[in-house]
This record gives sequence, structure tokens and C-alpha cells, in this order.
Amino acid sequence: MRSPRKAGALAMFALLLASCGGKADANGDALLIAVIPKGTTHEFWKSIHSGAVQGSRDAGVAIYWKGPSKDDDRDAQIRVVEDAISRGVDGIVIAPSDNRALVRPLEEAVKEGIPVVVIDSPIDWEGKVSYIGTDNYQGGVVGARALAALLDGKGKVLMMRYFEGSGSTMQREIGFLETVAKEFPGLDVISANQYGGSTTESCYATAENLLNAYPQIDGIFVACEPTTFGMLRALQDSGRAGTIKVVGFDATDKLLEGLRTGQLHGLVLQNPFKMGQMGVQAMADHLAGHPQPKLVDTGTVVATKDNLESPEIRDLIHLDFDRWLK
Amino acid sequence: MNRLRALLAPFLGLLFVVLLFSVLAPESFPTLYNFRTVSTQTVVVGLGAIGMSFVIMSGGIDLSVGSVIALSSVAAAAALNAGWSAAAAILAAILTGAICGLVNGLLIARLRIMPFIATLGMMGIARGTAKRITGGQKIDAPASWLPDLVSKSSADAWLGLPPGLWILLALAALMAGVLRRTPFGLHVVAIGSNEATARLCGVNVPGTLTRVYALNGAFAGLAGAMLFGRLSVGEPTAAVGLELDIIAACVIGGASLSGGEGGMLGAMIGAFLMAFLANGMNLAQVENYWQEILIGAIIVAAVALDRWRHRRG
Repeated sequence: MRSPRKAGALAMFALLLASCGGKADANGDALLIAVIPKGTTHEFWKSIHSGAVQGSRDAGVAIYWKGPSKDDDRDAQIRVVEDAISRGVDGIVIAPSDNRALVRPLEEAVKEGIPVVVIDSPIDWEGKVSYIGTDNYQGGVVGARALAALLDGKGKVLMMRYFEGSGSTMQREIGFLETVAKEFPGLDVISANQYGGSTTESCYATAENLLNAYPQIDGIFVACEPTTFGMLRALQDSGRAGTIKVVGFDATDKLLEGLRTGQLHGLVLQNPFKMGQMGVQAMADHLAGHPQPKLVDTGTVVATKDNLESPEIRDLIHLDFDRWLK
Repeated sequence: MNRLRALLAPFLGLLFVVLLFSVLAPESFPTLYNFRTVSTQTVVVGLGAIGMSFVIMSGGIDLSVGSVIALSSVAAAAALNAGWSAAAAILAAILTGAICGLVNGLLIARLRIMPFIATLGMMGIARGTAKRITGGQKIDAPASWLPDLVSKSSADAWLGLPPGLWILLALAALMAGVLRRTPFGLHVVAIGSNEATARLCGVNVPGTLTRVYALNGAFAGLAGAMLFGRLSVGEPTAAVGLELDIIAACVIGGASLSGGEGGMLGAMIGAFLMAFLANGMNLAQVENYWQEILIGAIIVAAVALDRWRHRRG
């Protein structure tokens, strides 16, 4: 079922036929678990995918990885859920792109006898088996403390938000702002109401505008990969990279390069691999009749130039996707 | 007769897609549950395509529909939050859409601004207004029967299908009658076929165009109420780019962007064809990019076929 993925244009119908042939045992012994991310284009989701594949190997179940046709499009993700129900999967592991909008389709899944494990982003719904993800508020707290330490607790700081309605980043942003207000009176937040938007390009453009608007900035906090990368590019482009302390979120090669060259100063790291792995594992265990904890925090740590080579951080950033996603 | 011939290709396309996926995913695709799923997935685009058919028939285009749908869904949520009934919330959404459409119509008919430009402006204005009203966040609303309209497990299902689908089909039939049997409909077709001639024949061109865009806005408003039903929250960032899906549904169904041609049945076939294709490919585990490539190819093929048919007379 997996092998024809890389084939060329003509292979499409072969692929259709192949997937059809392999599906026959859906009601038999092999359990099929749908793993539904918010999007498929960011590396973060590849880590979750890798983890889910590892989880499926550990638990001996099959997974079916399917993202919405547009990243972060709620209605598109609802469709993927509805189609998974139609397909008759045995369980759904989902990173919901909205903490309310996905409730109705997931309730329908439960009504059809399909249990749901939620990963990465929280959802306002009691019907889930378990929530496995980063405590996002805590991620913002950790980020605030890291930035304050870099600035010795004083200076003008700016925060660029992700897109309107993104629940997980909003929690981080609140965690950051509340911690600054509570613990660091010396930090002056000069701008915290601008949204970068859901794409790297739009984050880049917003970051450029913000940098133009504020000639005097000491520190910047950005709460996810697209905003961090957009901010890094804008800083490089304006020649201000390295002059402003930046704490961002998530790790890609470009962001780690920024950390090594001193253009970024801290990256709050989540553990997406663990979310994917534990999500599938928890679903398999649940289907086998073992009770699951309602909440599992997969934790955050701050990577800096100094701790980059420590084993703990290395495991989080040097993920060799090929080991899982061939 | 000619009109029916034009519908043959899209209809065969729809039939082909349904049969293909019935063979490729026999356990999950051809089931009542899945048809219910697809029908709820089509309601928003389908309602938008009803209004858009009038616009395209008149030789115009409306790019603001996606944004207007988002703004209307926010209006429905805000109305429910203000303690209004669900019926009043639907009316609020329709009215919101109609106002946006009316502004479009006045800009186009009275100020003679190109439809592409006027509605491009409204696209930004409606989207920004939606974000302004909600402070950029989605807004929650108290429970009502509105989501039930587009729920697969609806308590009000008739013949096993949700009320939203029946509303869509009833309105499509009604508006097909308006388009073919009323002076207003005939004027729309006349303007789209040849605006100068229509004017010479005494058609009130500005008045008719204003009503066309207001009507399209009203349908976008109703689509917004249904989108709210699907999401159960008012979502200012929803439906980005949805206008293109709606236009594609009309075009696949035989509408010509130069005006005067198209119809309700074709637009519905187009909307269902795209929904079945997307759903079937999901069920058969085809990667998302194939969906985009195929739908793009189908749009081009539909228009090429139409051109070819025209040349043959």
C-alpha cells in the first residue's frame, strides 16, 4: 500500500488499484488508524508522521496518514475526518486545526464507534480518549524566561503572532505575555497584536513591516516555525540579524543554522515525534482495552547555541525522516 | 435541446467519477453514509454556485464570495450570541451577504467599475470586516438547530439525507425557474449575451445588474449560515479561495465566463462532481496533490469541450 507513492504520473491508477487491494482486511485482524495532521507542508508534520509510523511499528497496527488539502483549513480537515469515518477506520488520531469546529465531526466518529485520540493541539471536547501534546502555555512561559535571561530582564520586546484562530500558538502567546507581565517588569512589550498569517511568505512580509515600524527593539518572541523563519529572513534582509535577541519555536535546518550563527538565540523545542508515536500507541492500547490517561504532556526545552550538541537536544533536532518515511 | 446537450458531458463526468470510485473503494464509497457525507460537503459550494450562475450568466464575475461567506458565518454566530433565534441568525447572514452584494452591484452598475475590480475590493473589505468584528478570533455561539441542517446524523433528515441538501436542491430548482421563466431571468441572459442589444431592447441594465449581485450576495450569505453550521463557530479566516471552487463548479457545469450561457443544473453537477472527486480520492488514499491536478485538468477539459462543441455548431 505504501510502495507506489513515489511513482510518476501514470502510476496514479495503479496506486488507486493497489490501495483498493490492500484495504480488504479493514474489518479483519489488522487495525487501521487514521492519523490526521493540520497540514502536510511543514517539517513539524513530517516529525509527527515519522513518530506515527514508529508507533504503528511498535504496536503492530496500520496507519493511514492524510492531511487537509489546504494547510490549516478547518473545513478541509473536517472533510478528511468525515472521509475517514466513511472509510471505516478503527481509530482516529488527530491534530485538530480548531478547538471547536472539529468537535461535531469527531462526535460523529465516536457515534460510529470510532474512538479519537487528540495530539498537538487541544480541543474543547470531553469525548476524546486522550490528549497528547505540548503544554503550549508552558511553552510560552519557557520562551519568556529564556528571552528575559538573554536580555538580563530589561528592554523593549516585540511578539509577532501566528494566524487568527490558531489555538496552540495562542496559548504560547498568552503564556509568554502573562509571564512577562508577572515576572519581568523590566521588559516592555511594544507590539503584540500583529498576525503573520498562516504562510511563511505572509509571516515574512509582516515581520519586515514590524521591523520597519520599530527601529529600536531589544528582543523578539515568535511562537511557531513559520513566524520564526519569517522573522529570521526579515532580520537577515534588513541587516539587523544578530543585533536583536530572538527566541523562536521549533527546529528546522534553517532555524538551527540561525542559532549556530548567532542570528537566533533560543528555540523552544517540542517533541512532535513523541506526539505521533504516543498518539498511535495510545490508540492501539485503547483499542486493546487498556485505559489511557486523559492528558499527556510531551514537554518543551529551549535549545541554545551552547546546548545544541547535548544528546537531549540532538534527538529532537536531527531526525532522519528517511528511517520512517520512505 | 441545445442546453441539454451541453449538460451531457458534465453529467457523464459525474457518473464516471461515481462509478470509478464505486469500483476502487467498493466498501466505503457507494454507501448511504458516504453520500450523506458528500451532500453535506457540497451544500456551501452549491449554494454559492446558484448565485454565481446568475453573475456569470450576466457576463460578470464575483471574487468576493469566499470573504462574504466568512463574514456571513460570523454574522450568524454574532446573532446567536446576541440571543437571536436560529432562524433570525440565518436571516442576519443572508442580509449581511445581500448588503455586500448590493454594494458590489451598485459599484458595477452605477459607477461602471469592472466586476473583477469591484468584487476584488469587496473581497478584502468583507474579509477585513469579519476579522475586525471578531477581533481576529473565531467566535463561539450557543447551541442551536443550525448545525443540524448540515449534519450527517441530522434529526430532521428526509429520505436519509440532511435538510441542507434539500434546501440546496429546492433553491436550485426555484432559481432555475427564475432564470428561464421570469422577465428578470431573461434580462440577465440578454445582458450576458449582448449588453448593447439588451439596452436597445429596453432592458434596465443597471437595475438588473444591481439585483444580480445582490442576489448572489444573498446566496453567499445563506452559504455562510451553512458554513457556520458545519464549523459551529463563526470563523473570519474560513472559506479563503472558496470563490474559485464556486466559479469552477459553474464552469464545469457549462457556464461561459463571456456570459449568456450556463444554468443551475450544470452548476449543481459541477459542484457534486468536484465533491465526489475529492471524497473518492480521499477514500482511495490518493495524495492531495492529485486532487488539485485533476480538478484543474477537469476545469480546462470542460471548457475545451465546450469550445469544441461550439465550433461544430
